Amino acid sequence: MALLELKNVNAGYGEFRVLFDVSAKVERGQIVAIVGPNGAGKTTTLRTIMGMTTLYSGDIVFNGRSITRMPTHKRVELGLSMVPEGRRVFRTLTVYENLVAGAITKRAWEKLEDTLEMVYNIFPKLKERRNQIAGTLSGGEAQMLAIARALMSRPDVLLLDEPSLGLAPKIVIQIFDVVKKLRDEAEKTILLVEQHVKHSLEIADYAYVLEQGRIVLEGEAQKLMKDERLKKAYLIF
Amino acid sequence: MISVEPMLLVQNIVNGVFMGLIYSLVALGLALIFGVMDIINFAHGDFVMIGAYLTFLLATTLLVDPTLTAFITMPLFFVIGVAVYKGIIERVLGAEPLIQIAVTVGLLMVLRNLALMIFKAEPRGVPFTVFGFPINVGPITIAASRLVAGIVSLVALFLVHMLLTRTKWGIAMRATADDREVAELMGINVKKVYAVTFGLGISLTALAAALIMTFSRADPYLGLLYGLLSWVIVAMGGLGGVIGVLASGLIIGVIEAIGISVVSAGARELFIYLTFFLILWFRPRGLFGRR
Ligand SMILES: Nc1ncnc2c1ncn2[C@@H]1O[C@H](COP(=O)(O)OP(=O)(O)OP(=O)(O)O)[C@@H](O)[C@H]1O
Ligand SMILES: [Mg+2]
Repeated sequence: MALLELKNVNAGYGEFRVLFDVSAKVERGQIVAIVGPNGAGKTTTLRTIMGMTTLYSGDIVFNGRSITRMPTHKRVELGLSMVPEGRRVFRTLTVYENLVAGAITKRAWEKLEDTLEMVYNIFPKLKERRNQIAGTLSGGEAQMLAIARALMSRPDVLLLDEPSLGLAPKIVIQIFDVVKKLRDEAEKTILLVEQHVKHSLEIADYAYVLEQGRIVLEGEAQKLMKDERLKKAYLIF
Repeated sequence: MISVEPMLLVQNIVNGVFMGLIYSLVALGLALIFGVMDIINFAHGDFVMIGAYLTFLLATTLLVDPTLTAFITMPLFFVIGVAVYKGIIERVLGAEPLIQIAVTVGLLMVLRNLALMIFKAEPRGVPFTVFGFPINVGPITIAASRLVAGIVSLVALFLVHMLLTRTKWGIAMRATADDREVAELMGINVKKVYAVTFGLGISLTALAAALIMTFSRADPYLGLLYGLLSWVIVAMGGLGGVIGVLASGLIIGVIEAIGISVVSAGARELFIYLTFFLILWFRPRGLFGRR
């Protein structure tokens, strides 16, 4: 059974429908990528999983349990966590306080010290800068912090919304490295939304292509890499 | 300008410092609610006024010092704050600013008219307090009640500062203030944070009211005075956190004291608002403006 599953999800914002009959599965221990053009509904898909959109019909099942009607904070308590598009660190808090804010759930609070050590191990730079106000971090550092903050809740599934957006090529490579390590070494399950289609398919196990709110293509990442339609649409090679 | 006796001026300024501390405490609740929830609570000053009457009632029926009534009124006001949040504020969270303003102004009218109905615009003072004696330091005389009120206010400001910077709840409150949506994504129960913030903000007015009642009287228009003062303080220093509120409160207290000494008691408000306009003229975002 998939760790996370969307079943025929129709969702949007108030009256404005964005997702049409979206069904997708995320298997434990995998990186699953969602790719697609701007405005396709990728962010909306992740927000819907977190309970931050209007859901008209369909079901979201996590760990064998329907979470469709749960408020966002309960979903985090169950082990879902999201790194929002554009990083959105708490700019007025220090790096350390951002990390503490990520561990506010019961699930995470008791293990705060352990998780902090784990996160500082992955991102040594954050340890150096723990007393810096987050608003003054560089783009790359802020993205590291956004990922670290989401890890602080000790999630089983990490949702990443365009973690490489607006970053220098060198930093982009680092971010993809980290995502891969999170699966391979930290045993996290990852749902990754990305513009860098080629990079994403290279590290992903499975992928969905979303266009105008509908899944138009899906399959194993390695196979999708060779798909003519995808190659043409995204000019990835 | 009228010549002032220097010692009298010094004495008034010292008094102004203590008043400034109390003003900071009054404004702190408003700053918290505004900072975390982005709600302008126009009824803030009238909670101070209701708190003052309640202090009068409790002190005179239980025959205890007005300062001690805070042990009852603070938890009570916390509960009232949470109830007001749940019953009224939560319903208008996403609404237009104009609706939010109408709601808290409505609350102000209810509180003020309640006081007018029960107490008929009559000021009520507690006729006793253990702090009713003067303290002489050289040529300067200060009322013990103001000294105590100032010190307790400072301690309360410090405790709130520690709450905001050193505790789980405080960090949750500041994260919510910073980015409500992301706070939710982090698993913070934002509605609970709002309820606690509103309750805390209102319960601080009860503490301020108990302190004020050691040297002043309750009257139905106290709300106007403290409401406006709090707004000036928050506008001047609100974004600077507790320290900003403290600094602005002290400025207001001292300016008011100088106004009283140099011109006349009637000039206090003139001086306060002129200072306010001047500061906003040069620093439109307040003393600690960000963004
Ligand atoms: N908060 C919102 N309220 C109303 N409509 C929204 C909101 N957020 C997004 N939309 C709309 O939903 C549609 C899908 O947006 P979404 O952000 O999910 O796309 P996306 O695939 O993440 O795009 P991008 O690659 O640009 O991030 C768009 O038409 C967008 O205008
Ligand atoms: Mg997006």
